[in-house]
Amino acid sequence: MKNHPNFLPSSRREFLTMSAKGIGLLAFTHYAPSFLVSSARAEVPAPRKDMPILVIVQLAGGNDGLNTVVPFEDDRYYRLRPSLAVSKDKVLRLDDHLGLNPACAGLHRLAQEGKLAIIQNVGYPNPNRSHFRSTDIWETASESNEFVSTGFVGRYFDNCCGGAPAGNDPLGVHLTGEVPEIFLGDREHETFGVLPYGNLNRRNENLGLLEKLVQQPVAGENESASYLRHTMMDTLVTERKVADLLSRYQPAAEYPRNAFAAELRNVAALIAGGLSTRVYFVSLGSFDTHVNQQGRHEQLLTTLGDGLSAFQKDLEAHQLAGQVLAMTFSEFGRRPMENDGKGTDHGTAAPLFVMGAKVKGGLHGTAPDLSVDRNQDLTYSVDFRQVYATVIDRWLAGDSAAVLGRKFEPLGFI
Amino acid sequence: MKLTLTPSEAWQPLPVDEWDEAAALHLLRRTGWSAQTPEVDRALADGLDVTLQRLFPATPPAMRTPPSIVALEEDTPEFAAKIRAAAPAERRELYQQARERSRNALLDLTAQWLQHASRPEFAAVEKWTLFLGNVYVVAARKVQNSALLYRHQDMLRRNCTGTAPDLTKAVLRSPAMINYLDLQQNRNGAPNENFARELMELFTLGIGHYTENDIKDAARAFTGYVQRFGDYRFEPRLHDHSPKTIFGHTGNFDGDNVIDLIYAQKAAGTHLPALLTRFYLTDETLPDGHLDALGDWWRATGFDLRQLAQRYFSSRLFFAPQFRGGYIKSPVQFFLGLVQDFSLDVPPLPRRFEPAFRQMGQVLYDPPNVRGWVGGREWISSTTIEARRVLARAFFQPFDETRLNADEQRTVAAARAAGEKAFTVTDNTLQPYAALNPDDAAARLLRQLLSLPASEAYRRAIGAALASDGKPARPLARVRDAVVTVLETPEYQLC
Repeated sequence: MKNHPNFLPSSRREFLTMSAKGIGLLAFTHYAPSFLVSSARAEVPAPRKDMPILVIVQLAGGNDGLNTVVPFEDDRYYRLRPSLAVSKDKVLRLDDHLGLNPACAGLHRLAQEGKLAIIQNVGYPNPNRSHFRSTDIWETASESNEFVSTGFVGRYFDNCCGGAPAGNDPLGVHLTGEVPEIFLGDREHETFGVLPYGNLNRRNENLGLLEKLVQQPVAGENESASYLRHTMMDTLVTERKVADLLSRYQPAAEYPRNAFAAELRNVAALIAGGLSTRVYFVSLGSFDTHVNQQGRHEQLLTTLGDGLSAFQKDLEAHQLAGQVLAMTFSEFGRRPMENDGKGTDHGTAAPLFVMGAKVKGGLHGTAPDLSVDRNQDLTYSVDFRQVYATVIDRWLAGDSAAVLGRKFEPLGFI
Repeated sequence: MKLTLTPSEAWQPLPVDEWDEAAALHLLRRTGWSAQTPEVDRALADGLDVTLQRLFPATPPAMRTPPSIVALEEDTPEFAAKIRAAAPAERRELYQQARERSRNALLDLTAQWLQHASRPEFAAVEKWTLFLGNVYVVAARKVQNSALLYRHQDMLRRNCTGTAPDLTKAVLRSPAMINYLDLQQNRNGAPNENFARELMELFTLGIGHYTENDIKDAARAFTGYVQRFGDYRFEPRLHDHSPKTIFGHTGNFDGDNVIDLIYAQKAAGTHLPALLTRFYLTDETLPDGHLDALGDWWRATGFDLRQLAQRYFSSRLFFAPQFRGGYIKSPVQFFLGLVQDFSLDVPPLPRRFEPAFRQMGQVLYDPPNVRGWVGGREWISSTTIEARRVLARAFFQPFDETRLNADEQRTVAAARAAGEKAFTVTDNTLQPYAALNPDDAAARLLRQLLSLPASEAYRRAIGAALASDGKPARPLARVRDAVVTVLETPEYQLC
């Protein structure tokens, strides 16, 4: 492969010009770093700016669906939850049978404006009640007895975005400390992490020497070392670009002052800044309310609703709402019967939310059947992979069968 | 994973003629945080067996209880009475104060632990304790009393060279654990499965080695284990005394009985060694046959933890070439390795480095969930790399004491009086390198800091940076810049 400077994708050129010492081309004349080789092997068209964007909102810990979308006309609900049930006069009605928890004012407004789809009773066969296992299952979109090491978004990147995106922007951005499993694909893809209050903006006089050193393969480089090195190189380029976009951004909505809202504000900033990133990942939690559920759950739902509300408003004001879809997921719902600690234990199916200007708002699917015995869990009616398939095919213009392993019946929310 | 060693070869002791400097460096860097010349020399002189006896002694050295924890424990009952007697508005204020105090105590504990663990004579036991704490997880975000967190870690430390069943029974009685996994709420007639599930899934057996019914009945056996103001007791009237069926056995089991039943399961022999492998050796999974061989042996020792450590860290597998130098350091190892590499003292100012740990993804005493930190590549993202770089540079900034508040100044003064004063890397530490010619300085520096020999190109680049025609003009400044840059490269993140 020719190491001619013009052959380099533009961001690598940026990478070189960043060097205060003008190391420039010297670093590349002696060998071809592997990342250059792989990004030149683009078999599928690279994504451009202005393609549809997905924002995944993880509700970590297992959100109690029954107290989120409340079946306020169902006696069984009140029998199962003598102390935890939300009372009929407090719910924010969606229709004659279902309403939202009073802490969901933000979500309720979005629903009334037709921008929020509520998919009911989402789960999967042979449900697993372990946080890690069930989160794995949702993130990898595997069967519950399969162990898959790639995330469905990673596989989407593998199948649908093989080439380097324009400007070599990261394909996925996560506003969490760790890279979510959801982003891991068979091939390496650029992802980037942003902390809620922005990256540190530090000048480094040694950047030139660092860039030079980071380009060398580590002696006896194994997979871990190679991974480290590639991450660092990509980091240095993206770092500069992202810090710039975040600091220049003027939000057009007032975001609540909490970490979750700050994450969403940063997502808006990067979308408005024109990054070709396709998927963003934010997280809220913990919803694992085994004990004294009410206060904590209400607080989390308020944070969720108010944050999403502000985010939607901000996108609309920037004329970006048509380009963005947000989707929540949680590893499981919670047991219909409350426990003795005024809380609930791990359960199975629960509703999830999809928000966006292009969504068909309102309730989708059917409410869960509450004829359950003590300590019995709900039976799902929508497989979560149907939700993914719908988003992949109809929103991201991808191939859901390739990503999920087979075809799943799509739903009508897009 | 490709291994040339068979299951029976893997756990044989390293042949004596293979115990060389490279092996000693590998051992010390993996069982501890880094390896300085005096420790390496001593290990070579003593031989591998004696070294391991010393690193993992029969009685683990104690850690001094931080004063803030002592104060917290003394005050807790009084404070609780005050809260009960107070009017509702006052109560909120008092809760706020209690949380604030506990939070400050946690920061103090973190700084004290880091200083304690940085000492070479304590490093191996502290890392082993950290490992066990990553198995038997409790976390500050739920256990909001820092004294309980300290006592939990201390319990792990005191039991870390005993047997695993004894340790597990001590964990059952740990007030922090009773809080964290809802044993406090688990009572006869109203079972809470949290502890039973995580005990089997994460602490002792692993997924697939128990059924939902095992968990349901075990939960009933774990009723009645409660705590009050940090004191454990067993409350018979809360305990479910009726029969339970677990792993096919039926009886009026209590918690200890269940733990014995757990350790009779085959998976108990291999589960902890698998976790040990991930924490100390490699991201990859060892083949079942290799784990089984070790597990069978370990079961026959009565699940002796000291013997496990000594066998593991003296084995041919542990020293296999494929495992040397390619393991990503955890944030704690990065921090303490740096402290040891430059013979520093941990500054008694937790607020200065706590944000760094948070951004690197490892807040001590507060893992994100009951699985603990996964480690390996999960430590690495653009965010965490940036955090490591910033931290490394911070160790080279001189200390501006005028920016400390009065309390902090007092703490620093006290530390200095106790002989702890090397908080940042000074010109004195770097002077020896400035005195050498650039190539020798580069070679010496890299041998000191890196776990694998640097590539030729890397060495040349450092040599060039140190040369007198480089920038900046002062030799010491050039050394400083080069050293900081090395700490930011991938090579320094590996051990």
